[in-house]
Amino acid sequence: MVFQIEISRIETSNVIWVENYSTPVTWNQVLHWSWESKLPLECVTHFVRIRSRVDDASIPELRSWSNWSSWEEVDAQKSLGQDPLVVFPINKLVEEGSNVTICYVSRSPESNISCAMEGVPIHGERLSPNVFAFILNNVRFIRETGTNIYCVSPSNMSGTILFVSKVLEEPKDFSCETQDLKSLNCTWDPGHDTTLQYQPSQRYTLFESFSGKTKLCEHKKWCHWQVAPDSQETYNLTLIAENQLRRRSVSIFFNLTHRVHPMKPFNVFLKNISATNATMTWKVHPVGNYSTLLCQVALHGEGKVIQHNVSVKVKGQYFLSELEPVTEYVTRVRCAASNHFWKWSEWTGQTFTTLEAAPSVAPDVWRNVKTVLGSHIVTLFWRPLSKSHAHGKILFYNVVIENLDNPSSVKLLSIPAPANGTELTLDQCSYQIHVTANNSVGTSPASIIVISRDPGNKNVEEGRIQGTEDGFSLSWKPQSGDVIGYVVDWSPQDPRCQLQWKNLGPNTTSTVIRSDAFRPGIRYNFRIYEISTERIAYLLERKTGYSQELAPSENPQVAVSNLTSHSFTLSWKDYSTDSQPGFIQGYHVYLKPKVEQCHPGFEKVALSDDSVCCQYKIDNPEQKTFVVENLQPESFYEFLVTPYTSVGEGPHDTFTKVTIPDEYSHVLMRIILPMSFCLVLLMVLCYLTSQWMKDKCYPDIPDPYKSSVLSLIKYKENHHPTIMNVNDCVPDAIEVVNKLEGSRIQFLGARKSLTEMEFTKPAYLYLLPTENYSGPGPCICFENFTYNQAASDSGSCGHVPVPLKTPPSQLALLTSPENLLKSLEQNYVNSSGESPAGENSLNYVSQLASPMSGDKESLPTNPPGPALCSEYRTQMAVSLGHASPSPSENSSLSLVTLLDQGEHRR
Amino acid sequence: MRAQLPRRVLLSLVLRLLFLKPVVTGSCSGDDQELLRQLQHQVDFMKDSSRLLDPYMHIQGLDVPGLKEHCQERPGVFPRENALHELSRRGFLQTLNAKLGHVLHRLTILQQNLPKVQDFGTVKRYIYGIRNNIYCLAQLLPGSSETAEPTQAGTEDSPPPPPASDTFQSKLQGCQFLRGYHRFMHSVGRVFHKWRESPSRSRSRRHSPHRALRKGAHRMQPSMRGKRLMPRGQLSQ
Repeated sequence: MVFQIEISRIETSNVIWVENYSTPVTWNQVLHWSWESKLPLECVTHFVRIRSRVDDASIPELRSWSNWSSWEEVDAQKSLGQDPLVVFPINKLVEEGSNVTICYVSRSPESNISCAMEGVPIHGERLSPNVFAFILNNVRFIRETGTNIYCVSPSNMSGTILFVSKVLEEPKDFSCETQDLKSLNCTWDPGHDTTLQYQPSQRYTLFESFSGKTKLCEHKKWCHWQVAPDSQETYNLTLIAENQLRRRSVSIFFNLTHRVHPMKPFNVFLKNISATNATMTWKVHPVGNYSTLLCQVALHGEGKVIQHNVSVKVKGQYFLSELEPVTEYVTRVRCAASNHFWKWSEWTGQTFTTLEAAPSVAPDVWRNVKTVLGSHIVTLFWRPLSKSHAHGKILFYNVVIENLDNPSSVKLLSIPAPANGTELTLDQCSYQIHVTANNSVGTSPASIIVISRDPGNKNVEEGRIQGTEDGFSLSWKPQSGDVIGYVVDWSPQDPRCQLQWKNLGPNTTSTVIRSDAFRPGIRYNFRIYEISTERIAYLLERKTGYSQELAPSENPQVAVSNLTSHSFTLSWKDYSTDSQPGFIQGYHVYLKPKVEQCHPGFEKVALSDDSVCCQYKIDNPEQKTFVVENLQPESFYEFLVTPYTSVGEGPHDTFTKVTIPDEYSHVLMRIILPMSFCLVLLMVLCYLTSQWMKDKCYPDIPDPYKSSVLSLIKYKENHHPTIMNVNDCVPDAIEVVNKLEGSRIQFLGARKSLTEMEFTKPAYLYLLPTENYSGPGPCICFENFTYNQAASDSGSCGHVPVPLKTPPSQLALLTSPENLLKSLEQNYVNSSGESPAGENSLNYVSQLASPMSGDKESLPTNPPGPALCSEYRTQMAVSLGHASPSPSENSSLSLVTLLDQGEHRR
Repeated sequence: MRAQLPRRVLLSLVLRLLFLKPVVTGSCSGDDQELLRQLQHQVDFMKDSSRLLDPYMHIQGLDVPGLKEHCQERPGVFPRENALHELSRRGFLQTLNAKLGHVLHRLTILQQNLPKVQDFGTVKRYIYGIRNNIYCLAQLLPGSSETAEPTQAGTEDSPPPPPASDTFQSKLQGCQFLRGYHRFMHSVGRVFHKWRESPSRSRSRRHSPHRALRKGAHRMQPSMRGKRLMPRGQLSQ
């Protein structure tokens, strides 16, 4: 029969769906037909009616439609509560990308209701005064807890959750395999997880069509399937993925024995490990009766991988050969079914290290020979053996020195590693040197070098070579055809750097020396040797060069000399051209003149700082002096000397300033210096002349104890008046001159100039003992009546007791006024009463005295201290009536008188 | 990052609660002030909405304008603060214990609906510690013959109810419940603070701390008889 079904919405006349449903019917059968409304049924009232007809051509009378049934009303709102605002559908589950219609139903018609999805307002269509519908197109998955849709009125709020699920994907990479032919392990990639909160998760089911068995998988990515004990060989497995919205499936068909994926081997061991061999053993898990497996052995070592295949049933074994000594290897094994390869098992591995062996090659040895004082200083160098040649840790190197001129003389040196050289001192004999490297197992072959009497360092002119980025390209001309090879050695200019060398074959006449150690600006010296069949090295060529020349980094220290008013000389003789970062080709002399014009030979150039100066180019690097000429006197110049290489010149850092003297300065110097010399010479001559004059004109005062005056003292002591014999006095006249202020007193005994003193009293002449005199002794006092008129008038040789200045301590006893006066009063006071003037009194009048006028009046009331120095002049005797002894404050160990200077000459 | 730090803090607290001073191996401390101090710290920690409410709202998508305004505490679920202050200490402890039991039950449901949110389990274990400290505090009541048992983790667990017919309303209700919980713990903290501020005055009153606590203790239902319980959860904040 055919049933026609009509569905109306809101009112019966609003038919929204008409469908014909055909189905066979039986008596009393209840039919079911379903229809899903896009608009939730809770939103509005729906109506449905149905009619039918027989769909059988054999009964044409029944082929007309029956009458419509009455409308059935579907009003879901009646079953809802009395919530004032409700949003439908509730907890709707849809797939991502679906179009969803929702609505809100308000119990009271409110116009101020707004709806939003995840905070974003949505706009819809009013279906009735209380119902508003919203169509959400292409909804997206936001979160597992669902998409929040809600409507808000001023008094209420309601919402719903739209559970948007990701689309369930068909499982990918579905595959099943077995490790033991007892169970299958099926795996797949499930794709997106469609799990949502409150919603059942997606599930997977395995179905095998031959056996009809089904298994619900517990996991989303894999599942175990138990193999039937009846040894079913072929399987048709279907994986079914389903959730509430979708169902997907994928099937595979396979033979069980073709899906064997063995478990990884176990019990992997290495045995009989030697320096080059080892034996590997392992076991495999049996795979039912299908026990033959193909195993792959991989050996990892020295950066290489070697693989071998082995057929194995239960135990596997493989002999590893051609291994390197003292090398760590990793050996691994995996297996697969040999008949129907499906998959390799996982690797199982083991690590082992081979044992040591004797070094396989001779060390690479080179030498450097110097001849010092008739001996050969041989420095041996050797390179450490590579790991592949050392075959273990090199413990020491043996150096055997064999005297070829005396074969019985053999010397052995054992040099512990890691030394890479040694120094030998050999005499003028020829020597053969064997160098071997030794480890714990054995000795390497020997490397042989012969040192002949003539070390072969003949004078070979050094040539220059220009390096490139690729290195230094060297070529040479073979000198003798019978060579076993060539050696090129090189080292930087710095002697601290070690010699490097390169061995070349006998047919080689050129090479390129490459080294990462080459640095720009470093000079490298190369030597090319040929090695004769006797293993003697002969120097062929010498080269020197830079891998890359640089401009000089420093300027020479320049000294300025021969500075004249028109020129000066620059010199930098200490500058070494060999230790520079490039071949010095010459020098640039820069001069900054005051005027813009440059001197002849100079060129005007602009410096980097835009200043202009004059440049003179010296092409000879060995010329290290330069005379700057044609300069202006009394001017100011700045100069700079900088070397230059093929790359450039040195820095223009600091100019040196030179001030050119004036034109006459040298003339003046020529005059002033001799004049100064002459003046000094004249002064010296004057001094010497004055000394001579002094010695001649003013000789030293004679020793008074040797004077005949002493006889007078002796007379006094003997109480026998003695008349002084004038002839006893060497000077036949004594004049005592009182020197007033300003007069300079000389202490004749000490020959020192002492302080100036003033004399206020008539001067006396004291004849005092010499400095050897130690006790109170005779002292002779002569009063100078020329200036002591009062005393003279009284007729006594009176003394004015004046406080004397403190004499020098050693003179205190004799020079104190008391002692002095006492002794004078007791013994020597010139008294007219005691000594007749004509007999024992002598008056001396200075022949030169010419006291300054006014001296008397200016005499101070306080007598001055004793004059420590007085001058003695030749005196002459005058008449008695004028002579009067005068006390003198001066004290001396010698005869001291106060004399006028200059006028008394003997 | 923002959510990880509180988780670490919570984890450390839980470890201290559960392992350093395990309930099942000790008995209560007799220092009521110490218990009050620790309860104060625990409650202060739990009043922070970043422990529960904020992660919940984020996961449920409720932290958007228009929805978060409706995540307000529903009256009557948790007592107001003034009501708590008016309670006797015995009554307060009873109320607190009972409400925490309800919270544990609700958190169990939330935890099962949102298994990826680890904060629920952490907070649940923390609440067990609070309840055990409440038990210990009640043990100090003089003359308390009816001893309560401390709460053990899991005792409040019960099968979650089936998903609500209106999941949206369930979301909102969970949000409102958690907000009320944080507010409630804030109020509880103020009550404990008041207790700590006036211990002597309280003792002199009709409901002294000891007496009040003892009066309230018999209404609780502890199960760990004879076991010494230590103060729980020294907060490391």
